[in-house]
Amino acid sequence: MNRIAIVFLLAAAVGTAMLCVPGAALADEIKMVGGITKIDISGPDAKTAAVTLKDNKTDQLVTVIVNDDLTLDKFKDHRIVVGDEIRMKYEVQDGRNISKYFRKTAGC
Amino acid sequence: MKRYLIVLSLLVIAGTAAQAKEHPGKAYIEKNGYQGPSTCESQGCHPGTAKKFLGTVHWKHSSTVDNVDNVEPGKEYGMKNRIYTMCNGNDIVNNLKEIPPNPKTGKTKFTGCNTCHPGNHISDVGSTGRDAENAIDCLVCHSQAYDYRLRKPYKDEVGRVVMGQDRSVKAAIAVGKPGVKNCMVCHEAAGGGVLLKRGFSYTKETDVHAAKKMVCVDCHGAKDHRIPTGYDPNNWANDGVRVGCSDCHGEKPHKDEDNNRHAGRIACQTCHIPRTGGALAKDFTKWTQGSDGFYEPTTLRMEANETAPVYAWYNRTVANTPAFIGPKGSRTDKESRIYPFKLYEGKAFFDRKTGQLLSMDFAPPMATGDTLAGVASAAKTLGIREYDPVSGWQTVYFGSNHLVTKEKALSCANCHAQNGVLNFRALGYSEEEIRKLTSAGIYFEKMAVKQKEEW
Repeated sequence: MNRIAIVFLLAAAVGTAMLCVPGAALADEIKMVGGITKIDISGPDAKTAAVTLKDNKTDQLVTVIVNDDLTLDKFKDHRIVVGDEIRMKYEVQDGRNISKYFRKTAGC
Repeated sequence: MKRYLIVLSLLVIAGTAAQAKEHPGKAYIEKNGYQGPSTCESQGCHPGTAKKFLGTVHWKHSSTVDNVDNVEPGKEYGMKNRIYTMCNGNDIVNNLKEIPPNPKTGKTKFTGCNTCHPGNHISDVGSTGRDAENAIDCLVCHSQAYDYRLRKPYKDEVGRVVMGQDRSVKAAIAVGKPGVKNCMVCHEAAGGGVLLKRGFSYTKETDVHAAKKMVCVDCHGAKDHRIPTGYDPNNWANDGVRVGCSDCHGEKPHKDEDNNRHAGRIACQTCHIPRTGGALAKDFTKWTQGSDGFYEPTTLRMEANETAPVYAWYNRTVANTPAFIGPKGSRTDKESRIYPFKLYEGKAFFDRKTGQLLSMDFAPPMATGDTLAGVASAAKTLGIREYDPVSGWQTVYFGSNHLVTKEKALSCANCHAQNGVLNFRALGYSEEEIRKLTSAGIYFEKMAVKQKEEW
């Protein structure tokens, strides 16, 4: 009986936690649109960049790690620059936000 | 000893190849700077190239068109002047300019269809003469070190909107054959956002040619800057040169004769490009306000590879009406083959009096969301005094010619099944033919042998 009660309480606790942090707990990928405020790459051959964006909905600053070569190339030759609005998906891995999708919203 | 000679020979060849990669003229440019096309044409290099370039689609954004219904013979068409519902504007009515201030934020910005034109906007789409030649931005297509921050519109001292260029020595000495990014810097953002219009990305993950490190111009190889294009029903302007799969792969590309027989009536793309993507639909009558206060056409967007194509007979001639732009052809027409198309629908304003689609200047709706003000501005530019705007839909079939796959190509069972990808009824087959075509009996023996060989 005690064991059943413990399992029930654990399930309730997990459920409550998921409801409290819906974005992080229920979805593998978090989506956002925001403007770039900072791009940190460490040189022409850098294979990673830390990019900070201001979430349009919450005004919160979110820093993501960008590892894909196509996007890194766009930082290096300034096809993507500070001020550009970005549509982004990222995952939280080991406490870091890892970019999975990073596109300018603008077109012509 | 022989092995050393071979290695030595390979090193010499590699060294020669590496040397060949450096474009001649580096020392001249480092000494004299880069002034644009005049530098490219100096020292006996590339003589007359700028003048010839002014006659190409990349400069004119138009050409005569000989395979489309309801166009005027001899008149040139293209993004310079076309009206359709992926863009709804064009270079004429939606000319690059500073838009009115947003009432809420007071901010303004530059926008226009001719933002991607490789001139400086003072010498604009289709311009000619010495100033136009000097205005060509050779490096935006040819440099691997172009600083794209510099390719931005600004107002000069007399208030003209000018498109900036990177004419630095650094960019000029890094010239060569255009890479993928040189093409995609314009082509991937067409139609209102990244990968929206044609719905394909060109990466090693999404296209077998990209995986083999081929670049755009390996297929679209230009002569005198005339770029070969395919027969996308919605891409009318062309330089008079065409490209197709068979240019490289031949008419009988398969080892299997049954597959080669299929190629007679089924385009390569049908089996080898089973997916498409990009914008599904747009509404130009109702724009959506973004976080920056500006408005954009409401757009349903999908990723590359996220949607299925529609299949139709196509003889490379195009139906063009206000409600439909797409392929012509039929099963009985021997020039027709079955092709895949990206299906797109656009909502915009039509003139109730004439039934014709009206175009739009994006500046007013981008600032305030007032789409009818955009129609009014475009009508004024075109000299249309009377019109009665009414909203309606247009369907466009875009060619589906990228996202090529070998591994995931359609095979017998993908089409020859009752739940197959081809709608044989819509393609003109009789009920009796459909029963045969959708039965495993049509390929059973062959697949059984193949399965036995593989396992």
